Amino acid sequence: MRQLPFYYAFRNLGRSRLRLAASLVGSSLVVLLVLASGGFVRGMQLTLAQRDGLHDNVIILGTGSEEALERSQIDSAVEGIAAASIAGLKERAGVIFASPEIHAALPIWEDAGSEQERLAVMRGVRPVALLVHPEVEIVEGRAPRAGLDEVMVGQLAATRLGLPDERLAVGRTLRFDDRDWAIVGRFSAPDTVMNAEIWLPLTDLQIATKREASVSCVIVTLEAGPGGASFADVDLFAKSRLDLEITAIRERDYYASIAAFYGPIRVMIMVTAILIASGGILGGLNTMYAAFASRVREVGMLQALGFTRLAIVASLTEESVFAAACGALIGTVLGLALLDGLAVRFSMGAFALVLDAPVVLLGVAGGLFVGLVGAIPPSVRCLRLRIPEALKSF
Amino acid sequence: MDTIIECRRLTREYRKADTVIRPLDELDLDVPRGDFLALMGPSGSGKTTLLNLIAGIDSPTRGQLLVEGADIGALGRNRLAAWRSRHVGYIFQLYNLVPALTAYENVELPMLLHPMSRRERHERIVAALDRVGIADRKDHFPRQLSGGQEQRVAIARAIVTDPAIIVADEPTGDLDKPAAHAVMTLLQQLNRELGKTIIMVTHDPAATAYAARTLHLDKGRLVEKDSIGGRLEAEEASV
Ligand SMILES: Nc1ncnc2c1ncn2[C@@H]1O[C@H](COP(=O)(O)OP(=O)(O)OP(=O)(O)O)[C@@H](O)[C@H]1O
Ligand SMILES: [Mg+2]
Repeated sequence: MRQLPFYYAFRNLGRSRLRLAASLVGSSLVVLLVLASGGFVRGMQLTLAQRDGLHDNVIILGTGSEEALERSQIDSAVEGIAAASIAGLKERAGVIFASPEIHAALPIWEDAGSEQERLAVMRGVRPVALLVHPEVEIVEGRAPRAGLDEVMVGQLAATRLGLPDERLAVGRTLRFDDRDWAIVGRFSAPDTVMNAEIWLPLTDLQIATKREASVSCVIVTLEAGPGGASFADVDLFAKSRLDLEITAIRERDYYASIAAFYGPIRVMIMVTAILIASGGILGGLNTMYAAFASRVREVGMLQALGFTRLAIVASLTEESVFAAACGALIGTVLGLALLDGLAVRFSMGAFALVLDAPVVLLGVAGGLFVGLVGAIPPSVRCLRLRIPEALKSF
Repeated sequence: MDTIIECRRLTREYRKADTVIRPLDELDLDVPRGDFLALMGPSGSGKTTLLNLIAGIDSPTRGQLLVEGADIGALGRNRLAAWRSRHVGYIFQLYNLVPALTAYENVELPMLLHPMSRRERHERIVAALDRVGIADRKDHFPRQLSGGQEQRVAIARAIVTDPAIIVADEPTGDLDKPAAHAVMTLLQQLNRELGKTIIMVTHDPAATAYAARTLHLDKGRLVEKDSIGGRLEAEEASV
C-alpha cells in the first residue's frame, strides 16, 4: 500500500480552525482529566496503601477520631500507662514496643523564598518507632536527633510532594515552622503509607505543632505466642481507662476502614472522569464529522488517483493523532503546572495529587486515544460515499 | 489501429425501492488507441456515468468493459485502485486540487503511488508542469492561481504518471473562452504529440472542434445527433 505523505496530513491540519481547535482542546482536556483523576488515585494510594500487617500492631488513639489519626489527640502519658498496664506487649532488651507518635499533614516549603506550599505527611516518633514498624529501614544517612532540626524522608516522599527525588537527598533542607530542617537520612518502607512520609523526633514535632502535652496515638506491638497480649487485652485497657478517652483499633483495621471510606470516592471520581471525557469526546466527534464535509470531494479525488481507502484512513488518522498529540502536550504541561502536588483535604485527612510517570503516561495515552477515536468520523464521512458520488459532493 | 476501450452491452443501473434508474443502457462502444473523443448529450444522459466506468471509479451492473485488455468491471476495489493509478488520468470540471498543497505537490500526488527514485520523480513532475506551461507557478497554492491555471495543474497531475488514457468531465465547464481555448489546445497537443487517448465530456460545441470525433448520448444510449432533434439543438444553443 502506498502512503500519503506526512506533509499532506500536517498541512491539512490548518484547513479547519474549528476542527484543529476542537482536537487541541479536546485532547488537552482529556489529558487534564486523566491527570487529575489519576493523580488523585495515585496520591490516595501513596497515602493509604498499607500492606497487610506482617505483625500485630494496635493503635491507641483518641475516642471519636478512629477514622483520622491526624485529628486524634491523646495525653502523652498514655504511652507510659499502656506500657505499664498491658501485659504481653512485645519487649526486647528492656524496651517495650509502645511508640507514641504524632501524625500530621503540614504545609512545607522548599526554602524560605519559595512560594509554593506543599502538603507533607509528617510523623513525629521516638527511636522505638523503628521497632514497632520493622518495615522501616534506614537506607541512607541516619535517624534524626531531637532538638537539631533534623528529619528523615521516606523513599516516596519526593513523589508525594511533587519534587524531584534528588531534592530530598541527604544534606538538603526543607522548610516548615519558620525554620530550615536538614535531611539527615532516607528510609524505605515498601508498600506502606510510611514510605511517603517525613519522620522527625517526636518532641520536635510536638513543638512545631504546639501540642507539647499530647500525641496523636500510641502504637503497640503484641507479643506473639503464649504469654502475648491479644487485641482484646488492649481493647479492655482502653475501655477501662475512661479518663484517658482512648480507643484501641488494630492497625490493619484502621487502614482498611480508610480504604473503605476512599473506595467509593475513587469509583466516583473515575466514573465522573469517564462521563465528562466521553461527553466531550462525543461532542468533539460531532464537530469533526461536520468539519470534514468539505473534504469528501478531495478524498474522492485521491481515490480516483488510485490511493486505497486504507491509505486514506491512515492519513486521516495521522492527522488526527498529530493534532491530539499537540493537545496532549499542552494538557500535560498545564496539568503538571496546575495539578501536581495540589492538596486535597478531606474530613478524614489530606493528601496531595501525585502526577508521577505512570500517571503522566496514562494521561498522554488518553490524549492519543482521543486522536485515534477522532479519526473515525472523518474516515466515515469521507469513505461513506462511493467515488462518483463523493466527486459530486460539495 | 488497436482498440483501447471496448464496451459491450455496458449497463449501469441504480435500484431504489422498486424503481430502476438506468443511466447506461446496453451501450456498445469501441475507442481506438489515440482517439480524441468528445461525448455530448443532455443533462442526465449518462455521460459522467460512462466516463466513470471507463476510468475505473465505478463498476458496471452488467455487460463487459475491456480497457487496455483488462476486464476492469471484474476487478476488486484495491486492484482497481492500483489499475487506475497506472492507466488513467482523470481531469475534473472543478480541478479538485488539494488546497493545502502547492502546484508541484499536487502534481506529485499520483507519483507517490509509483516507486521510483526521488530524482526521477522530480524530473517527471517538472516535465509535466513544463508541458502545461505552469512551471513558473510550481510553488503557488491553488488559491493563488486562476481557474485556467488550476485546470492546467490538474492536467499535469493527470499526465505525470504517463497513463495511456485521459478522461475529462467538462474540463472547460468553469472557464471563460480564452482559458477554455488554452485548455483545449493543451488536450489536443497531448493527443497529437503524446498519443494519449482522450475521452472528454462537454456541453460546449466549440470544444468539440478540438476533438477527433464527437458522439452523442441520450438516455444511456449512443444516438445519431439528429435523432435527439430539437431538444439537443436547444440545449446547445443555450450554452
Ligand atoms: N447514485 C445515483 N443514484 C441514482 N441515480 C443516479 C446516481 N448517479 C447518477 N444517477 C442518475 O444517472 C443518470 C445519469 O447521470 P450522469 O451523471 O451520468 O449524467 P450526465 O450525462 O453526466 O449529466 P450532466 O450533463 O448533468 O453532468 C441521471 O439521471 C442521474 O440522476
Ligand atoms: Mg456529468
